[in-house]
Amino acid sequence: MDEHVEHKAHNVRKSGRKAEKKKKKTVSDEKSDEHRNRKAFAIKSVKKAEKRFRHKQEVLEKKKHIPLVDRTPLEPPPYVVAVVGPPKVGKTTLIRSLIKHFTRENLNNIRGPVTVVSGKKRRLTFIEVNSDINNMIDASKVCDLCLLLVDAKFGFEMETFEFLNICQAHGFPRVMGVLTHLDVFKSKEKLKKAKKTLKHRFWTEIYQGAKLFYLSALIRGEYLKNDVKNLARFISVMKFRPLQWRTTHSYVLVDRVEDLTNKEEIRLNPKCDRTVTFYGYSRGSFFKPQQNVHIPGCGDFSINDISFLPDPCPLPDKEKREKRRSLNQKEKLIYAPFSGVGGVLYDKDAVYIDLGGSHSHQQNSGDHSTNNPLLSSIMESNKTINESIEQSRLKFFSSSQAISDEESDENETQDSDEEEFENEEEDSEDGGEDEEEIEDESEQSDNEENYGEIEYNSDMDKEEPSRRRKRVRFESESAEEDENIAYDDSDNEMQWKDNITEKASVAFYKRQASTKNIQKLVYEDISSLKDEDTGSEETEFLSDGLLKVVKRQSTFSSEMKHTLDSIECTKISFECQDWDDEKVFETIADCFVTGKWEESENARSLLREDEITDDFEDLEVDKENEDEEEEENEVFKNEDEGDIEESKEAERLEKKRKLKEAFDTQYDEGEEKKDNDDAFYDQLKTELDKQAQLNKSEFEGLDDSIRVQYEGFRAGMYVRIEIKDVPCEFVEYFDPCYPVIIGGLLHGESDVGYVQVRIKKHRWYSRILKTRDPLILSLGWRRFQTLPLYSIQDHNGRNRLLKYTPQHLHCHATFWGPITPQGTGFIAVQTVSETTPDFRIAATGVVLNLDKSSTIVKKLKLVGSALKIYKKTAFIKGMFNSALEVTKFEGASIRTVSGIRGQIKKAIRAPAGAFRATFEDKILLSDIIFLRTWFTVEVPKFYTIVTTLLLSLDERSKWQGMKTTGQLRYETGQKAVTNPDSIYTMPKRKTHNYKPLVIPNGLQKELPYRAKPKYTPRNENKVERVAVIREPEEEKVHTIMEMVKAANREKKRKDRQAMKERIMRHKQQMQQIEERKKTREKEVKKQMLKLMSKSKKKTH
Amino acid sequence: MSLLEFKGSNCFRQRLILSTLSLKSMVIKDIRVKHEEVGLREYELNLLSLIEKLTNGSSYEVDETGTQLTCKPGLLIGGKVEHECSLQRSISYYLEVLLCFAPFCKVPLDVTLIGITNDQIDVSVDSLKHSSTPILIKFLGILDPSEVEIKVISRGLPPNGGGEVLFRCPIRKYLKPVNMLNSGKIKRIRGVAFATRVAPSIANRIVDKAKGYLLKCIPDVYIYTDHRHGKHSGKSPGFGLCLVAETTNEVFYTSDAVSNPSGSEKGVSVPEDVAVEAVFNLFEEIYRGGCFSSNNQALACLFMALGQTDVSKIQLGPLSPYCIQFLRHMKSFLHVTFKLEVDESSEKVDSEGYEYKKGSQKVIATCIGIGMMNLSKTII
Repeated sequence: MDEHVEHKAHNVRKSGRKAEKKKKKTVSDEKSDEHRNRKAFAIKSVKKAEKRFRHKQEVLEKKKHIPLVDRTPLEPPPYVVAVVGPPKVGKTTLIRSLIKHFTRENLNNIRGPVTVVSGKKRRLTFIEVNSDINNMIDASKVCDLCLLLVDAKFGFEMETFEFLNICQAHGFPRVMGVLTHLDVFKSKEKLKKAKKTLKHRFWTEIYQGAKLFYLSALIRGEYLKNDVKNLARFISVMKFRPLQWRTTHSYVLVDRVEDLTNKEEIRLNPKCDRTVTFYGYSRGSFFKPQQNVHIPGCGDFSINDISFLPDPCPLPDKEKREKRRSLNQKEKLIYAPFSGVGGVLYDKDAVYIDLGGSHSHQQNSGDHSTNNPLLSSIMESNKTINESIEQSRLKFFSSSQAISDEESDENETQDSDEEEFENEEEDSEDGGEDEEEIEDESEQSDNEENYGEIEYNSDMDKEEPSRRRKRVRFESESAEEDENIAYDDSDNEMQWKDNITEKASVAFYKRQASTKNIQKLVYEDISSLKDEDTGSEETEFLSDGLLKVVKRQSTFSSEMKHTLDSIECTKISFECQDWDDEKVFETIADCFVTGKWEESENARSLLREDEITDDFEDLEVDKENEDEEEEENEVFKNEDEGDIEESKEAERLEKKRKLKEAFDTQYDEGEEKKDNDDAFYDQLKTELDKQAQLNKSEFEGLDDSIRVQYEGFRAGMYVRIEIKDVPCEFVEYFDPCYPVIIGGLLHGESDVGYVQVRIKKHRWYSRILKTRDPLILSLGWRRFQTLPLYSIQDHNGRNRLLKYTPQHLHCHATFWGPITPQGTGFIAVQTVSETTPDFRIAATGVVLNLDKSSTIVKKLKLVGSALKIYKKTAFIKGMFNSALEVTKFEGASIRTVSGIRGQIKKAIRAPAGAFRATFEDKILLSDIIFLRTWFTVEVPKFYTIVTTLLLSLDERSKWQGMKTTGQLRYETGQKAVTNPDSIYTMPKRKTHNYKPLVIPNGLQKELPYRAKPKYTPRNENKVERVAVIREPEEEKVHTIMEMVKAANREKKRKDRQAMKERIMRHKQQMQQIEERKKTREKEVKKQMLKLMSKSKKKTH
Repeated sequence: MSLLEFKGSNCFRQRLILSTLSLKSMVIKDIRVKHEEVGLREYELNLLSLIEKLTNGSSYEVDETGTQLTCKPGLLIGGKVEHECSLQRSISYYLEVLLCFAPFCKVPLDVTLIGITNDQIDVSVDSLKHSSTPILIKFLGILDPSEVEIKVISRGLPPNGGGEVLFRCPIRKYLKPVNMLNSGKIKRIRGVAFATRVAPSIANRIVDKAKGYLLKCIPDVYIYTDHRHGKHSGKSPGFGLCLVAETTNEVFYTSDAVSNPSGSEKGVSVPEDVAVEAVFNLFEEIYRGGCFSSNNQALACLFMALGQTDVSKIQLGPLSPYCIQFLRHMKSFLHVTFKLEVDESSEKVDSEGYEYKKGSQKVIATCIGIGMMNLSKTII
């Protein structure tokens, strides 16, 4: 029986009674321990349970952040990677290695920002930041990631910490440390130790576990390929969080600059203001045309012209993108005009365009030059596009003007507008019918598009005259439709003014109803709005709105007087329609709940929807429902089957979507039950998500040229910004190694006012800061010098002036400076010029309040003295100079040195400034009277921008604005002026001679004897001793007598001692005798008692 | 920086509002040069003095002839202010300015305005109370509606006024974006028929007449009578009616009508006529429709433009001339362009071919806010 038998494997039951039983069992097994054994998990200690609960809630709550709307664009601009570190640490080497890694190109001369495509969805811009503090400040404001290079052999340097502090004040971008020079370490142990200490120091500075990267060795002037690759990977997967300042402000990190000033002007005046164009990716928020901007290191400007250009370093095409993970060589683009890469070579007074090479859009433009004239025109020269854009702008705003110009070119001269329209109508009849068909089909879209189209017109006119004409004609037609009421001639003026209101009201609805393009109605004549004239009688102004029609009318009829000024009235003041008429009333019948409801809202369909969402699991039941509905529908409606099918399909899709939504929400919520707070949080989150979705989808389909009109230049666009009146030094001393930033300013931020900030002296800064000493602040985009006044807030909200910043406390500071939103952080340095080994950042803080007046006060004590004193009233002089001053302080409380309180009542006539005051007690003439008040301190209106970009390179690091008084005194060798009152001197006190106390006789009589003054002189009979001068003989006697006395004294003392001893001895003897006597007596007693007891026993 | 330049007296208020909010200086030239009364009117100067009270650091210079005004706006302060308005215009002329300023003050606004509460030129204060406060609540994200208040303490009618209105509003750092594309259907109509210094029966006559019309459309109609006497009745006699229609989506349409001022050339008004006028105005307003009543279009558009850099989308009735001008001015002051298109999305014809009768054509206004922050507000 050795035969091996194959047994049949056990078949586990999957259905049936047994399986169900088992399932039940396992399910109960799966229950948590808490569920199964409730007693074990019962609350034993209420306090502990409460603590546990509270802790849990705290942890949960800590996880929450205020949800923000996600405003990142679909195609974000390149992320800015700043490579920061002290000199000779290997910044350039690192950038070169990274660029080589990303593009396979060796860039020898790196100047300014370098943009590369690092992945399918990511571009990076590298900038190198030297240790100039201005440079570090500017870089920290724009960089998304900073690579902090640290020489491992040397350790951390002050610059590194300074940069971290600067970053912290400006929103803290992502920071990654990179250790270099690791190959210098000879022994492994030392290397390990160094790494560890550096890492921990870095962690305390940023956060526990912050990434510190090690670049182990340098081979042939380059870092190891593997190290760079790892670093590059880290960079390309890094997530960036939005920073408050940058999401609300638009900015550009300039990667190309050109001077467009007329050469002739420069020749005539080399110091003339320049017109400069800046190029770069728009970042942050939206750029608006004519926005005010600030260029750090240069000043405030307003944008003269802004336009977007095709992306010079585009991400790989989405459509073309294959399913590969890496980029191919063609897509690995690099753009660095300052370094001479990417097609455009930057030179001081010329730009060389490299036609071949890696510049991709150049190749594209070669292909598209025929069908995209705009692009080609941009490529050709900057001047032309500038002008052409200006031209097209003009046309956009006042198309009628533009049209008439062009029309006049083509159709010779025409007398009036009306004739022009007629002509055009004829034209259109003559012209091909197909054109009209197109118009009809896409009237709406044309209307929207024609802004963009017109912009192109100036470039296209030579090529396609007929097409352009069509567009223009269409526009003028719609204009005619739009404004046929408002439009008038001087001839028919009298006719329509008869019943102006009725006409107006009809026209009002008709116009807005008939026109498909309200946009145009509103913004068409915006250019004429600016120079509109109220009293103007010209007909063309009538076309920009009803208001002017009425206005004009007003000069004729006084009834319409208020409608004349109805511009100021929000009420629409037309005659009503006749609502008594049933037909008229019918037009609003469905506006009431009693009217007919829309299908999406009516009760029946809502019910049906509810069903769908309620039992979404029962798909089959749903299907049945559907069928039933279908049947119903078929009963009710007799429509085309195709239509029904389509609608069914849509319905089904809708249903599916709803099911998915319901599932998603349930899945997201999970098993946990959400309490009320969570529900609120979740609701807020979903709301914001919805908003973000709307933000993205609203303008998505539109052409960029139109989109820009609505939202401005969004982040990710490559923009060209033209700015006029830039100081010539900017161009003259331009150095691409210093980052140029164009920071957009919001409304009100170009204004200047009093800024109140919370400030704290940096604990590493060795000195304390003095009030009214100049301080350089980096706040918002700006770097500026100003004179802050430090203050501290009392409990009643009073801002009391401080002379110096407190050592380890926050205090307030108020200065005259640019208005910057509250909550913006800043850092302060005392000078940007000095190159000390010390820590340079003097203070950090945040903006609290902006105002146009300041409220800092300091204590003021006014001193006066009594002039005349009555019982409780006294006249006080010397406190004020005039009666007017006194009246200002009437009712103020005053106090004497001795603490008697009083009040100022009224000024008296003479002497000037004296007043009557009352006190709670009679004061003395010698009392000094104080009035304690507060004196408002003026904040000096000094604000100057640190203009480092306008200085030559060697002067840049030596910028010095206003000097401190101390500095000036030191330089000129002066001493501080001392107030003689402030010098401490020894007090001179007068000795007082009091008069003797005299008690009147009458009083003396009444006094008891005890209190009566005694007139018995105590030492009356005292004989005054006379000095005795002895003769030598007497002296001798005296000395002998003295000696005898001394001997006697000694003898007495000895006798006394002997006696003491004798007594002692005697006492001892007596004691011994006594003791002996006692013991004898005891003995006798004892024997006696013994005998007695014996005799007693015998008797018994 | 650059100074904005305007000509003419029209849109005076809009320009002041936008200049103050955007902190942009401006010059208005040639104010009523060709008129009999050259220069600024009293009520406009009065408005300037009100704005001066509310702001800090502003300067308004009017030249000798009064035809040129140079504005240098300051920061809005707000706080408790009492102001005597000009009797040439009603209080709502001033109140509409305050509505725009209210969210952006340093201290919550608490203003008492004295003057005319109801007149035939402007929207009445009651209308503003019912139609504008919901807008503030929406854009400011106010959870407790009692925070915003417009209260008619005493009524004043032209020519002598004597009315008193209280306006309170909290402040905000940012305004919220708003999406309102469906105005809903009118579910109830309320109203106030007031009579001051006239027989109390007049108010009842107005109510009777108005109800006769309104009950035809909807059963839920209630008109309160507000008969004032004593110190709350102002200085001039008169009566009027203010109607409010509320929709299912919290949209309020208002209308009002007032009797002719005493001693006017037009003679004495009949209460029934006033009632009919108010009712017809309400129907007209309903006909215009939209999610914001016509007198509030500009306010809603302003708050949209000043909101965070998010898309706001609202449905409006036909744009009022005031709103059109406001949109144009917003472009020059704030660089905001609205996307305005005819509302195509809402259902017009149902599946059975029935065409919904919902008044005039609606407009959808879309814009991205400029992300204006309340620069006056203090943080601690």
